[in-house]
Amino acid sequence: MIFDVIVVGGGHAGIEAALAAKRLSCSVLLITANLRRIGEMSCNPAIGGIAKGTLVREVDDLDGMMGLAADATRLQFRMLNRRKGPAVQGPRVQSDSRRYAEFQHAALLEGGVALLQDEVTALSGPTDYLNGVICRRSGRIEGRTVVLSVGTFLGGLLFRGKERWRGGRSGDISSDLLDSDLRRRMFHVERFKTGTPPRVVAASVDIHALEAQESEESDFSFSFRKGSISSRVMPCYITSTNAGTAEIARVHMDSSPLMTGRIEGTGPRYCPSFEDKVIKFPERTRHNVYVEPMGWGSRHLYLNGISTSLSRRAQEGMVRSLRGFEKAEIASYGYAVEYGYIHHSDLTGTLRARQSQNLFTAGQICGTSGYEEAAAQGLLAGANAARTVRGLDPLRPDRMESYLGVMIDDITARGGNEPYRLFSSRAENRLHIRQDNADRRMHSFGMELGTLSEESDERLTATLAQERMIRQHLQLAGPGGVTGEKLCRRPGAEISDLRKSIPLLREMDKKILWSVMLDEKYSGYISRSRRKMESRQRASGVRLDSIASYMEIEELCWESREALEREKPATLADAGRVPGVRPTDIEGLLIHLSSRCSTWNDTDGPEERKNLDVPAG
Amino acid sequence: MNHAPDVICAPATPEGTSALAVIRMSGRGSFRILESLMSLEPGRLEGMRRKLGQVKSKGKILDSVVALSWPADRSYTGEEMVEITCHGVPAILRDILDALIEHGARRAEPGEFTRRAFLNGKLSAMDVMALAGTWESGSGAEELSGKIRHEVRNLSELLSVVEEILEGDIEFEERFPDSGGGSIEAAAGEFLKAAEALRGMTAILEGRIRVLIMGPVNSGKSTLFNLLAGTETALISEAPGTTRDGASARITVRGRELLLCDTAGTGGTGIDREASKLVLESIGCWDRIAWLSPSGRTPPPDSLKCGAMEVILVSSRSDEYPGTDDEDWLSMSARTGEGLDRFMELISGAPGNTSLEGISNRLLNLARGVSEHISQGEYDMAAILLSEARAELKVILDEGDGFNLSVERALSRMCVGK
Repeated sequence: MIFDVIVVGGGHAGIEAALAAKRLSCSVLLITANLRRIGEMSCNPAIGGIAKGTLVREVDDLDGMMGLAADATRLQFRMLNRRKGPAVQGPRVQSDSRRYAEFQHAALLEGGVALLQDEVTALSGPTDYLNGVICRRSGRIEGRTVVLSVGTFLGGLLFRGKERWRGGRSGDISSDLLDSDLRRRMFHVERFKTGTPPRVVAASVDIHALEAQESEESDFSFSFRKGSISSRVMPCYITSTNAGTAEIARVHMDSSPLMTGRIEGTGPRYCPSFEDKVIKFPERTRHNVYVEPMGWGSRHLYLNGISTSLSRRAQEGMVRSLRGFEKAEIASYGYAVEYGYIHHSDLTGTLRARQSQNLFTAGQICGTSGYEEAAAQGLLAGANAARTVRGLDPLRPDRMESYLGVMIDDITARGGNEPYRLFSSRAENRLHIRQDNADRRMHSFGMELGTLSEESDERLTATLAQERMIRQHLQLAGPGGVTGEKLCRRPGAEISDLRKSIPLLREMDKKILWSVMLDEKYSGYISRSRRKMESRQRASGVRLDSIASYMEIEELCWESREALEREKPATLADAGRVPGVRPTDIEGLLIHLSSRCSTWNDTDGPEERKNLDVPAG
Repeated sequence: MNHAPDVICAPATPEGTSALAVIRMSGRGSFRILESLMSLEPGRLEGMRRKLGQVKSKGKILDSVVALSWPADRSYTGEEMVEITCHGVPAILRDILDALIEHGARRAEPGEFTRRAFLNGKLSAMDVMALAGTWESGSGAEELSGKIRHEVRNLSELLSVVEEILEGDIEFEERFPDSGGGSIEAAAGEFLKAAEALRGMTAILEGRIRVLIMGPVNSGKSTLFNLLAGTETALISEAPGTTRDGASARITVRGRELLLCDTAGTGGTGIDREASKLVLESIGCWDRIAWLSPSGRTPPPDSLKCGAMEVILVSSRSDEYPGTDDEDWLSMSARTGEGLDRFMELISGAPGNTSLEGISNRLLNLARGVSEHISQGEYDMAAILLSEARAELKVILDEGDGFNLSVERALSRMCVGK
């Protein structure tokens, strides 16, 4: 049998990739080295956060599974940044990690995804057009497209103190042969590093000595669909490190694989190991540690904040120095993992590999971190693989419309020198890219992509109809002649003010009304940032092929003429990156081109003028 | 083929008779032109030279002059440049200029020397704007420019601090409240203080505000223009030398100098339509537009909103047409005088928007907004205002989008020879 889509890896990216392809009616095989660890939360038991929580909602609005799974297995909910403005709020849940994985495993089976436990050792066929994958036990498996979502398994190396062993994650093998195969096929493979903290036995901790952090009361759900919300609630706890903890880390620093240079890969700055914190902030001894339950009935606790790859003895000492943890037993030790990822120059904005017509990548292999980032990429890669099978063009999301678009643009066009994590500040249009309007924002992309079920389309269409009605009502003037639109823009405006002023709005759905109200409140800024982006895109996408010689362009200074003549950049954006070229010269080039453009209009055909258009995609 | 920009020349001293006058010439080939006019061997003006001699053209001696030459790397414009000091008689000046032009130079446009200096990296955008400002205000350019430069850098650094704390707070604070670097309120306060300081320094640099009167045909533009330009003494205090030149007039409103310009109506036909199209294309040089429309029926075209200029919406001829409920529109009648006071306040109130003062004014407003939003827990809005402030600073620091607009405007205020 030839599968339409073969997904390699059963993590958060692989699950969404397989299910998205399935929704586009493809036959899908998911291959993982260990079926029992599908959907595992390899690091902390939580979903969402600032920007990330919004991304989960975007995934949900493309009919992805992450939101439903997070709702059904949550133990605690918080809306982060509740007092810092609606545009930067992020929903976050603590999850029951085991039930989360079970939920996702069941979703794959229900979705009709074929599962195979094996190790993929190589891609099969020419890189330009693959014909499947090679497995260690099952041999060659034929597929029309392949999605690689192998997480940290690609050439994975684990470190703890002076220990070092091969593996993709504690207890799992690494994909060394696949790593060699990709390198043999001339993919630019680089190394990153990440780490995880120790887990401790809950019963050995004096939980009463810790400050509890309870769940918020809320009817929030990630999913806009009818899913279940778990009724189980568990608190988190807060403790903190002290001078003793730092001292133990310092004493054992000579065994640290990070500090002794045995790890080559770069780790994420935003998620530093405890060793990093001790070295970078020697004056601060107190760092918060969040104690998170691994699940309902789980005997283990996750210590968020002390990711470490120091030796077992050091970890025991550090954990026992924490208040409430004096007699703690470690259930599993923290470690660092170094793994291979594919450099951004090999990726395209549809997550198809540049060298291939039918290979797609998603998750940490694209140089990112985080469950949410992985899931969103998986969904896009899976849907685009399925579209390729169907003979449709793969799509890329718009940076101005979603965090998905921001992330894809960032990781494929710019790359970075540390694992990529989504932040709200990465979005130029963040007043628009909010969690409350994710459904309305994503609808047209979902319809185009083809991942939306009829049911979701109907629900979203109804929401959009409601939005239109609200917008009509907002044009009405209330008492005093002030329109609803104007009311929305007043500082501190509430739903109740609107409803009082325009009684028709009382009939409208409260959540949608609030969301449209925010659209209106921010509308001036949103349209301005969109205009700015458009003019920037227009400018930077301008092609420079038509320039025969820079030496005669009077608008440029002499050094720039020479530099540009040497480099011959393809677009205006490339020109800006040529060393020695100043912003003035870019403006000068634009002036030069626009004066030329007007003469073309008179003399030459449309073919010439096209050079000034924004390139597609 | 010569790759260099053409050679430009112009008198650098005021018109009229004086003891001495200076002519400037810039661009590759300037040396050769003058060498030939002064009968010097080729290459004698290469480098930093001073030559005494006679300028001859067609066998006739025009004047005895001193020629000073600068190589490209040391001149004002960043190109090879000469200054010819001759006798300050208009006829002599004219003859020498004619001779230069005959030998391949051309007349410089207003501000063209400075434009070249800017394009060749000799002056930053801020320098140009400060120069334009000081030439109009008469104060010391160098000193002021230095002070402003210092304050702008300071402001830029403080902006980074606020941004860092704010973004850190948005992304991490809730989860890791102990990770912050300092108080966000204090940082925003420092930023505000620096914005105020900059505002104070740039106030004296302000030049003339350019106001364009636009609107559909028959919206009362000319009535308003005639009123402002013609009967200024009745309306405008301290109005010396209000002049009227075709469709534009210089007037003084509340102590500020304004250049007022009437335009052909939009929506007209024939020549009117062409004229209004032209106006829309040149719109970047204007600080402020008064958009007139009876009852506010015709909104201004979108192209007006793209620029940095400010648009004042006027619901005109309010004695004949009903006003509008929209509070953005000002009801006004040039006949009865309704709304006129407010209109004068609007067109003269704040300085031109692409001047240094305009920018620093906006920075100050943004800094105030940032502080306010932070205190109200609207970090998302504060972040947006900070990024707008960053964009404004980039304009002055010569780093980013749109600064050409400011430079072009500053240059257009200069006279020939600068």
